[in-house]
Amino acid sequence: MQTSIILIVFLPLLAAIVAGLGGRIIGKFASKLVTTGALFLSCILSWPIFIGFLTGAETETVVPVLDWIRSGDMVVDWALRVDTLTAVMLVVVTTVSSLVHLYSWGYMEEDPSQPRFFSYLSLFTFAMLMLVTADSLVQMFFGWEGVGLASYLLIGFWYHKPSANAAAMKAFVVNRVGDFGFSLGIFGVFLVFGTVSIPAILEAAPGAVGTEIGFAGMRVDTLTLLCLLLFVGAMGKSAQLGLHTWLPDAMEGPTPVSALIHAATMVTAGVFMVCRLSPLFDAAPGALEVVTYVGAATALFAATVGTVQNDIKRVIAYSTCSQLGYMFFAAGVGAYGAAMFHLFTHAFFKALLFLGAGSVIHAMHHEQDMRYYGALRKEIPLTFWAMIFGTLAITGVGIIGIFGFAGFYSKDAIIESAYAAAVMGGGNVSAGFAFAIALIAALLTSFYSWRLIFLTFYGKARWASSEHVQHALHGHHEDESEVVADHDSADDHPVAVREGTGGYHPHESPWSMLVPLGALTIGAIFAGYAFYYPFFGTEEGAAFWAGSLVHNAELVEAAHHVPLWVKLSPALVMLIGLGIAYNNYIRKPKNPAKFVAMFGGLHTFLMHKWYFDELYNLIFVKPAMWIGRIFWKRGDEQTIDRFGPHGAATAVGWGNRLTARLQSGYLYSYALVMLLGLIAAASWAYWWAR
Amino acid sequence: MITLGHYLGVAAILFVLGVLGIFLNRRNVILMLMAIELILLAVNINLVAFSAYLGDLTGQVFAMFVLTVAAAEAAIGLAILVIFFRRRGSIAVDDANRMRG
Amino acid sequence: MTYNFAAIVPELMLIIGEPILMLTASTMGRRATKITTWGTVALLIAATIAALVGTEPSSAGPLFGGLLSADPFAVYGKALIYLSAAVAIIAANSWFARDDEHGPEYPILILLATVGMSVMVSATNMITLYVGLELNSLSAYILASYRRTDARSAEAGLKYFVLGALASGILLYGISLLYGFTGSTQFSAIAAALGRDEAMGIGLLLGLVFTLSGLAFKISAVPFHMWTPDVYEGSPTPVTTFFASAPKVAAVLLATRVCIEALGPAIDAWRQIIIFAALASIFLGAIAAWGQTNIKRLLAYSSINNIGFVLIGLAAGGAAGVSAVLFYMAIYVVMTLGAFLVVLNLRNAAGEPVEAIDALKGLSSRRPGMAAALAVFMFSLAGIPPLFGFWPKLMVFNAAVEQGLFALAVAGILGTVVGAFYYLKIVKVMYFDEAEEELHYACGNLEAAFIGLFALIVSPLGYLLIGPIGSAADNAAGALF
Repeated sequence: MQTSIILIVFLPLLAAIVAGLGGRIIGKFASKLVTTGALFLSCILSWPIFIGFLTGAETETVVPVLDWIRSGDMVVDWALRVDTLTAVMLVVVTTVSSLVHLYSWGYMEEDPSQPRFFSYLSLFTFAMLMLVTADSLVQMFFGWEGVGLASYLLIGFWYHKPSANAAAMKAFVVNRVGDFGFSLGIFGVFLVFGTVSIPAILEAAPGAVGTEIGFAGMRVDTLTLLCLLLFVGAMGKSAQLGLHTWLPDAMEGPTPVSALIHAATMVTAGVFMVCRLSPLFDAAPGALEVVTYVGAATALFAATVGTVQNDIKRVIAYSTCSQLGYMFFAAGVGAYGAAMFHLFTHAFFKALLFLGAGSVIHAMHHEQDMRYYGALRKEIPLTFWAMIFGTLAITGVGIIGIFGFAGFYSKDAIIESAYAAAVMGGGNVSAGFAFAIALIAALLTSFYSWRLIFLTFYGKARWASSEHVQHALHGHHEDESEVVADHDSADDHPVAVREGTGGYHPHESPWSMLVPLGALTIGAIFAGYAFYYPFFGTEEGAAFWAGSLVHNAELVEAAHHVPLWVKLSPALVMLIGLGIAYNNYIRKPKNPAKFVAMFGGLHTFLMHKWYFDELYNLIFVKPAMWIGRIFWKRGDEQTIDRFGPHGAATAVGWGNRLTARLQSGYLYSYALVMLLGLIAAASWAYWWAR
Repeated sequence: MITLGHYLGVAAILFVLGVLGIFLNRRNVILMLMAIELILLAVNINLVAFSAYLGDLTGQVFAMFVLTVAAAEAAIGLAILVIFFRRRGSIAVDDANRMRG
Repeated sequence: MTYNFAAIVPELMLIIGEPILMLTASTMGRRATKITTWGTVALLIAATIAALVGTEPSSAGPLFGGLLSADPFAVYGKALIYLSAAVAIIAANSWFARDDEHGPEYPILILLATVGMSVMVSATNMITLYVGLELNSLSAYILASYRRTDARSAEAGLKYFVLGALASGILLYGISLLYGFTGSTQFSAIAAALGRDEAMGIGLLLGLVFTLSGLAFKISAVPFHMWTPDVYEGSPTPVTTFFASAPKVAAVLLATRVCIEALGPAIDAWRQIIIFAALASIFLGAIAAWGQTNIKRLLAYSSINNIGFVLIGLAAGGAAGVSAVLFYMAIYVVMTLGAFLVVLNLRNAAGEPVEAIDALKGLSSRRPGMAAALAVFMFSLAGIPPLFGFWPKLMVFNAAVEQGLFALAVAGILGTVVGAFYYLKIVKVMYFDEAEEELHYACGNLEAAFIGLFALIVSPLGYLLIGPIGSAADNAAGALF
């Protein structure tokens, strides 16, 4: 297993280097082949490890790579740690990544800088694998920053698009806030435990319960503080409420990137980190409560905003945000297994939805606005069915005891855990709150997911007025810069939508895009059914996780025995959501407009994403600009420049006039200067001799 | 009795006169050449006086060299002065100020 | 007393070759200038080879009763002086070509000056020092006023002569006092006498100050620099090229030898004076260069500025300081010769040489290679890394810091910043200003080759030369201790 672990992690790096540095030499086909081949190899090597853990054939393994940092008490060994938790992440990352690589063959077909794109993708995968195999917090931080970098590069991949650059910078800056918390957390951990090795920290964590530490002039509970700081990092990476603003904008990147990084893998790093450190978090109930509230709030917030988006990718982005909220409050109530289960299934169906959306966008010639879609069911049937299965999975369709799609198992596991935690041991308010939110968010999830399907695939064709389709029809070769128009939904200008196809014929995507869709569809259908018991069984779960995260058997057992109405309620709200969507978008397509007219304020509020961007602009951006301007005008120009460069220049000019006058051109004055110098030197020597 | 000190005193006075002659004189360059000769004369007095005082011939040999060089120097100085006069029609010190700054 | 003529073969070659060349030239009519030019260059190259290969350790000691020495220090100086003098002679060819003033005596005068400089760097006695210095100076006075048709040239010669004679007088007066109070003109004997007396008498001190002042004139250190800008501007440009290179090397090496070998025991007495002169030179050179419109004048201030940095190495003293000084001079000569070679080849539409900085406007678009070379020389003179000119500056600062002269090093570094102003100004004019008038750049192949070679040496590639130059400088510096 050791060799395959090394190969899994380093093959993508190797491929990234080859494609990135040698892309010009070996050409785009070879670059694509190398990166995709390396990723499929990694994927093929990962599954046996996962199955090994599933059957109990494998146990926790640590592969040392090298001694990294030794400085005083600070010892960081670079080692690849693979246990059950890591094995789950390994298959998720390598599977989705390899499929996305393959998908990109078709999707990026016409892009001039494909080697760069594939190199970034592979580099991202390497960084993500470093993150999940981390044996110490410093190594995790390395991977953490590595995925951040790759994410930045890929969001800004179309760097000639100003909106893409802005989005990339926004992602980078917002993540800095989170990373600041994360690094403070790591410093704090080192301060308290004297080590950054994860096993050593987890072992020492129970001993630190109840201790206090000074922070910002206050005495606070040590573990709560550490966990909250680390959680700030997780919030940034996983786009939780407050630090979520970058994720929707990140959709400026190519769609395969959105599928890989901003749906399946990187954004789940926060959840992974909380699960990895679950013994630490479990010893800090105060911090867990915060995690629960933040997760639940995010789930609700993102779901509400998702209902009014018109850009197909933004709908899915808010959906991702919302599902991440689910995972966090699952971890918050102590059901880490359920959180990981949802992470696992979500990776499949969310990647499927994104890639399906990408296929639709591809078919519609880069039109992303759903208002210009409609009636695509017959035109691109394979994509349609993939999206349908993805939607069935995310909305959690299934019949108790018989079969259900992936989300059915994982989401229900979370909702039941939340209920169980709420009623267990005298009641847990945050868990109860989370349970209530979970049901509302599930309703909204169902609504916006079906809304997406109905708007895109049903109804009448509304392609005629889309500019992108117009371009395609009139044979304009589209410039890259206008491939994706700015779809900021806050700018919700009412569009004059004409019905009709405009003579346009959408085309089904090539096989390289359909194969990944097919593979992910299988995952979306069966991932829940196949792995429910290992991930969330009372005894099977304990055996499967084998101590790699905290398995609260009592909670899991209670979750299995919640009242029937709790078990049925997710299905019920799902049906309600479906009904509303069907009523408003199939039966009475005029209803949404009436609704907007009636509740204009609410609609605007949602359209502006609860005014988060505006608020941040007011609180952070404007004052920062103001302070920056003060430093620039007053500090730099009037102080530093005045006494520095400009001052020096003035002094030199002034001195120059003096020397010019001294150099009068007259012999006797030259002689005088020489004589004065001689006298001065003699006087000094005389004075010195005394 | 004339001591070493007297010789040195005379030489110093001559030296100062020579130096003053260079930068107090603003009339013509010939005077400057004379002032330079005065300085070299002061040096020679110094050298010979020290030579006699120390009972060492080196100083007198040195004085011979200085005399020789001074002769060459005077010749070259006058030659340059001639060139200058041809170009400018004047040997006034104040006229040699085309270049400055 | 033994007469080891083998040790002075380079000087003998030059001295004997000079009348032969002159006599040959007198019979050659129109071709005379060509004969003397290439004859002198050949002589100088032969003398360089003789100096480099002809020194066995046995000849390195005091020669002719301690009048001269052919130690590695002298050899280092001679090699630099001969080669830069040869370049200066070659550089004059095309510049003088446009009029008939390029007489056969021009290379001969440089040759005589070179003999003088050769004696200067070898002198271990005040008498030889004086004779060498004067031989150099007298030739230089004539060279400065070489263009008899040019009033500025005459004025330059006059100023140089009067001030030079005054400086000689001051130097001689100091030497006479040193002789009187130490009883010898021999460097080693003076040092011994200075070492004996714990408290120096006023006579000795005056002698020391006067001697140093006289030498400071030759290296144009502030406040004895006043002649430099005027003489550089007024002299014909090839002569200025010569003045800025070989005589500077000779004067700096002479001053170094006097300070270390003769006045070494009194270092505490002269160090502060040198430090003052160093800082004054750095800052005055940089500040005064700023407003210049004539590029020769600007380069004069540049040389004053650079001499300031050299003096920092001298103030540091010790083998490291002297080695830094020697290293600095080698690189300085290359940079200066390169810059002057470019200036020598500037012509206006009528084929007249131009000296105005404004003439450089738009040079980058017309002659990109020339502009790039000049930019390299300017950046290098300013000591901006990664160009090679940065390295010797670093060495002198290192030497100063090693001796605990932190304030000096810091002030020197500040001076580099101020100095960067005017070098950058030249680069700005060349690269960002529009050309105003038609300019021709008549650059011969040989000159172009020299410019290219020198630019290559001061480019970052020059760092490859740190090894050989550094060990030669260390070896030469070791001879003084």
